[in-house]
Amino acid sequence: MTKILIIDDDPDMRLANRLILEEAGYEVVEAANSAEGLEMIKADPPALIILDVMMDTTTEGFQTALALRSRAPNSEYEAYHDIPIIMLTAIHDTTSVRFGPDEDYLPVEAFIDKPIKPDKLIATVKKLLDK
Amino acid sequence: MSENTTEFGPLEATLPRDLATNNDRLLITRWAAGVLVLAATAFCAHVLNLPLPETLLYLLGFFILAYNGGLTWAISRARLTDHRLYMARLRRFVIVQIALDWLSMAVFLHLTGGITSPALIFFFLHVLMVTILLPGQPPYLYAALAIGVAVAIAALEATGVLPHYIVIPGLPSDLHTDLAYVVAQIIFFATALFATVYLTASIMARLRERDRKIAALFQTTHDVSSTLNLSDVLDQLARNAAQALFVPAASIRTIDEDGDRLRIAAAYGLSQAYFDKGAVELSGNPLARRVLATGPVIVPDTNNEPGLQYPEKVTEEGIQSMLVVPIAGRTRPLGLLRVYAHEPNYFTEDDADFVLTIAQQGATAIENALAHDALQRVDQEREQFVRIVTHELRSPVTGAQSLLSILLRGMLGKLTPKQHDIIERLDRRMDALLALINDLLVFAAAKSGQHDPLDAVPLQPTLRRVIDRFAAQAEEKHLTLTCQEACDELLSVQATEEGLVRILDNLVGNAVKYTPDGGAVRISVAPGTQPGTAAVAVADTGIGIPAEVIDRLGEEFFRASNAKQSGITGTGLGVAIVKQLIDRFGGQMHVESAEGKGTTFTVTLPVVGQEQGKAGAS
Repeated sequence: MTKILIIDDDPDMRLANRLILEEAGYEVVEAANSAEGLEMIKADPPALIILDVMMDTTTEGFQTALALRSRAPNSEYEAYHDIPIIMLTAIHDTTSVRFGPDEDYLPVEAFIDKPIKPDKLIATVKKLLDK
Repeated sequence: MSENTTEFGPLEATLPRDLATNNDRLLITRWAAGVLVLAATAFCAHVLNLPLPETLLYLLGFFILAYNGGLTWAISRARLTDHRLYMARLRRFVIVQIALDWLSMAVFLHLTGGITSPALIFFFLHVLMVTILLPGQPPYLYAALAIGVAVAIAALEATGVLPHYIVIPGLPSDLHTDLAYVVAQIIFFATALFATVYLTASIMARLRERDRKIAALFQTTHDVSSTLNLSDVLDQLARNAAQALFVPAASIRTIDEDGDRLRIAAAYGLSQAYFDKGAVELSGNPLARRVLATGPVIVPDTNNEPGLQYPEKVTEEGIQSMLVVPIAGRTRPLGLLRVYAHEPNYFTEDDADFVLTIAQQGATAIENALAHDALQRVDQEREQFVRIVTHELRSPVTGAQSLLSILLRGMLGKLTPKQHDIIERLDRRMDALLALINDLLVFAAAKSGQHDPLDAVPLQPTLRRVIDRFAAQAEEKHLTLTCQEACDELLSVQATEEGLVRILDNLVGNAVKYTPDGGAVRISVAPGTQPGTAAVAVADTGIGIPAEVIDRLGEEFFRASNAKQSGITGTGLGVAIVKQLIDRFGGQMHVESAEGKGTTFTVTLPVVGQEQGKAGAS
């Protein structure tokens, strides 16, 4: 079964995602913070990552996405560059986030606004996994 | 810390201006002199019947009038050219004029009796004028020249090389050959002339110094009020103080928060090695402590000053004397302003008062900057607080809504119609709550982000992105959503990217929201009617806004009655946010509406960049 990792500090949000994705036939694993999530990625890479933005800090999710996509030589996450990432944002109506004055747009595949709409989530996941 | 002062900087500006007005005065005086020579000659020759060389004197009078005419013409021509050139020429004119005047006066002296002539006194007039006009050594030179001319004429007439004209018949005819008389006349003339130059020159030097100080104070007041950049202001103050006092260097040090360390905040004319001399602490610097405790201190000779922290560095820098004044804030000492001279005993009490005035301006600038920093910090803290609070407010709502959506979709079992209805109502109330929280966040961010710098933000791509986002929603409602771009070139407007997106988002979002199924939303972008602006118009066929409340649109939490009754959720913050952002970007908003027919919002924003000219013209 295709495995999806959800990294979110909100247990209700994890539950909602899990219920929707399991109904759609995916295997779901959860992490309550980025550190735990990154360990799980290294231990058993998922097919897709759903990542919350605001956790312990307001930009924790962004930092995690940047670490996973880092092009720096010898990045410890080099093997996981190709795992698609969906960012869960509470930032209203955002399609792209410029991360810093020198950074390009945040290198993730999709943004999904909270609250989660089941159809939208499933459609996005399907699209990314079918590629 | 730059030293690239222009030739006529603000501090030197008064001198050339004096030169210009005084020069005008000189021209007028010379017209009078020429006419007077002619008139006096006629009067003396024909009324008093004095034996004057009449023809020669008339010729002299006409000569004076002729060259004065020539000079007047040349100066008025020079005035047309640019200021710097004019000033340079004016200096040359002063020299030419003085040379011609010398010639005229020498001839006049000779024609009116040489060393016995009453015209000898006229030389004072001229030397006085030169002393007033030109600073430095020239006046002494001119005095010596005047004496030389008088001696030469006396000698030439006494030896018979030049004829001697007897103008005053009562005087002995051989007076000009009387050695005792001639020598006495010349000694008195010379002494009086030099004394006049000396006294006038010292008074003028003092006046010029005051002028410079006043100009420096004006400049300082202007500098303090013209920029919020503290480092620039203090640099300018150090430079103004040094230039006004004619000294090579000045520095400003501010006291750190811990109250001991003196950090260099501005410097003028000091070497890098002097800055690198090491930390300056109040505890190690008795002189600084004395200044802060008792006020300005003049160090007449740095070699005999025990209060210096780095005496050897001071000597290496060539500093022989210094003046140190405190920069006193309202509640605590803020720092020190020092000026340095390469000669000992340079500074006076007067200088101390002057530098203290500059230091007071410095205190104002420092306190303004500190207050500004504190405000900005508060602003940032508030922004951070709002962000966190909003996240905390939003998380439970989005969590709950995400779970509700699972129930609504029947993923946990089919709902009865009543259950479905209740959960749908819950979901809608949550929607409204979420919208309110979102708008509050944006509203607070817009309020606190008022100091963010504005950029050139490309208008059309941003607009297209916003419209794309509403395409699905418009399709759901069977709305025609079109955008017409009435100009080929890219318009960049003065805004922040986030702010511009927010404005367009609100306007397009509102149009889509308040337009019933099957309606149309037409967006257009074009150069504004005023040059240098761009206009975005969003026209819908929606419910419209009652005419009597159009003026209230910018009010926070205001919603028109028909909007409330429509059952469409809204917070009444959207247009308030738009208005606030437009005001910040220097733009304007115009609303036209007919209830039941539709509304057109037109937003005009200033255009920046190369496209400005084209956009304004087309």
